[in-house]
Amino acid sequence: MTAVSGLAPGGDAENVPAVSMQGVHKWFGDFNVLRGIDLTVAKGERIVICGPSGSGKSTMIRCINRLEEHEQGRIFVDGIELTSELKRIDEVRREVGMVFQQFNLFPHLTILENCTLAPTWVRKMAKREARDVAMHYLARVKIPEQADKYPGQLSGGQQQRVAIARSLCMNPKIMLFDEPTSALDPEMVKEVLDTMISLAEDGMTMLCVTHEMGFARQVANRVVFMDAGQIVEEDAPDAFFGNPRHQRTRTFLSQVLH
Amino acid sequence: MTARPGSAGIVARLRARYFRNAWDSTVSLICIAVIVTLAYRFIGWAILDGVWTARSASDCASKSAGACWAVLPARWRLILFGVYPFEMQWRPALGSLVLLIAAVLSCTPWFWRIARIVVLWVASFGAFVALMRGGFFGLPLISTENWGGLALTLFLFASLMVLGMPLATLLAIARQWGPRWLRVCVGVFIDLVRSVPLIAIMFGASLVLPLILPGWLSGDKLFRVILGFAAFFGAYQAELLRGGFQAIDKGQIEAARALGMRPWQFQLTVLIPQAFRLTMPQTVNQAVAGFKDTSYVAIVGFFDMTASASAALGTGDWALAFVEVYIVVALLYFVFAYSLSLYGASLERRMAAGQRR
Repeated sequence: MTAVSGLAPGGDAENVPAVSMQGVHKWFGDFNVLRGIDLTVAKGERIVICGPSGSGKSTMIRCINRLEEHEQGRIFVDGIELTSELKRIDEVRREVGMVFQQFNLFPHLTILENCTLAPTWVRKMAKREARDVAMHYLARVKIPEQADKYPGQLSGGQQQRVAIARSLCMNPKIMLFDEPTSALDPEMVKEVLDTMISLAEDGMTMLCVTHEMGFARQVANRVVFMDAGQIVEEDAPDAFFGNPRHQRTRTFLSQVLH
Repeated sequence: MTARPGSAGIVARLRARYFRNAWDSTVSLICIAVIVTLAYRFIGWAILDGVWTARSASDCASKSAGACWAVLPARWRLILFGVYPFEMQWRPALGSLVLLIAAVLSCTPWFWRIARIVVLWVASFGAFVALMRGGFFGLPLISTENWGGLALTLFLFASLMVLGMPLATLLAIARQWGPRWLRVCVGVFIDLVRSVPLIAIMFGASLVLPLILPGWLSGDKLFRVILGFAAFFGAYQAELLRGGFQAIDKGQIEAARALGMRPWQFQLTVLIPQAFRLTMPQTVNQAVAGFKDTSYVAIVGFFDMTASASAALGTGDWALAFVEVYIVVALLYFVFAYSLSLYGASLERRMAAGQRR
């Protein structure tokens, strides 16, 4: 039984899927928000998750880094099973980076300090090394000159790119995006999406909850449609957008792609 | 560039602010008249008719009806050092200086690291207590009952801050994020302490505690009183900080957790700094109130600055010069309290620097 080693079933040690969710259920009180989720994400895959609000998309990806606790079923991240064991949770959080809709930068720290905080405290990196890593990723998201400013002095698009850099500084293997562009003015959406595209091109495993269908078409390996706590349909983008199989998917797409 | 209209010289601005229309002008003129009259009378009493050298209050009165400032050269030692023996008064003077220097240094960013500030205050308190208490190197032992005046007030306030602030932080964190049993315990403690007047806590600490605790745990009366005072201050300050914690966006906690930080790590680096920034005005309030509340120790027999001043007047030669003495004491309190306010304001400005575009 795989419970002993904590490895995910369905693969040998070298070919472990990045994320494996099996029969995951979750309730908020009496409301069954996740109803039997089965999802496997291979390394390097880019998954876009879409669906109407309240379908459980955010809850599902938040279960992956234990910001929400699943109540039934099993979740494996890079072979590590997610349980209530703190050690496992810490290990998983080191592998998984997350970007939020509201950026969630630390307003009392400079951009550079935002990026060096976690590496210094969690990975016990030396100050200079953390600083170098931070400047490298700030350059990667194309805002190295803002390093000594505070989040309040940056635009929304810049703040979100800092949030992406901050997560990257921890060298995650998987990146989760929870509606990263939903809180941005339209003219800033492109700069963030471009950053995410370049991340994808470098081979990062990504799970992205978003309404940006253009991004899905361009970058996703698979598009997953969720409704009422269940995965209704998942397919490659061409098949998904060109030939949706379920009526619910068709209804949703007609509302989103006007 | 278009010039802003109306930003002319000072006369124009004064007129706009105080004499805009008939009603404004009338009220302004009345206020000016009142202020001038009061100032004239006060300056007359305090400065023009003031007596600076005399042998007693009645001697002052015979010279003029003005303020009897002569009480100061006669009694300043009591106000500053209380009943500390005359020839040893360099010790509280030096001790007060040590505390003031430590306070000023604590305000410089260089000391804003836990290790450095802990060392600074442990050293300063050690030096102060060693100087005041003595008992070694030929310094005669002077027990805490004889400490007094401004030196005692400064010591009380410094102890209050150094003990009370960390206590408040721990209580606030425990009550906000601790396990349920801890939240309940801390809640009960805070509510109990807040329901009891400070005087009662002082009495409890000085009179009741020795009856309950075994002798070796009782300690010096002054230190018991300081502990009681710190608990009182800590309880109020804890609730302030908790309000600050609640005002922080929960998303930041999620971001910190997603980055893999443990609770104590993000409490220290993300939550506590922001809670202090958010509650800075109330914290300054608490600190200033704490400074003034140090006068309560007079109830349990210590001669802080206010009590020393009263003692300085006594029933002797200078009893009638109480107004002058209390004015000086009030001025001393004002100097320290206002400095605290100014420092709080400068901290607020520094912390807000990054929030503006």
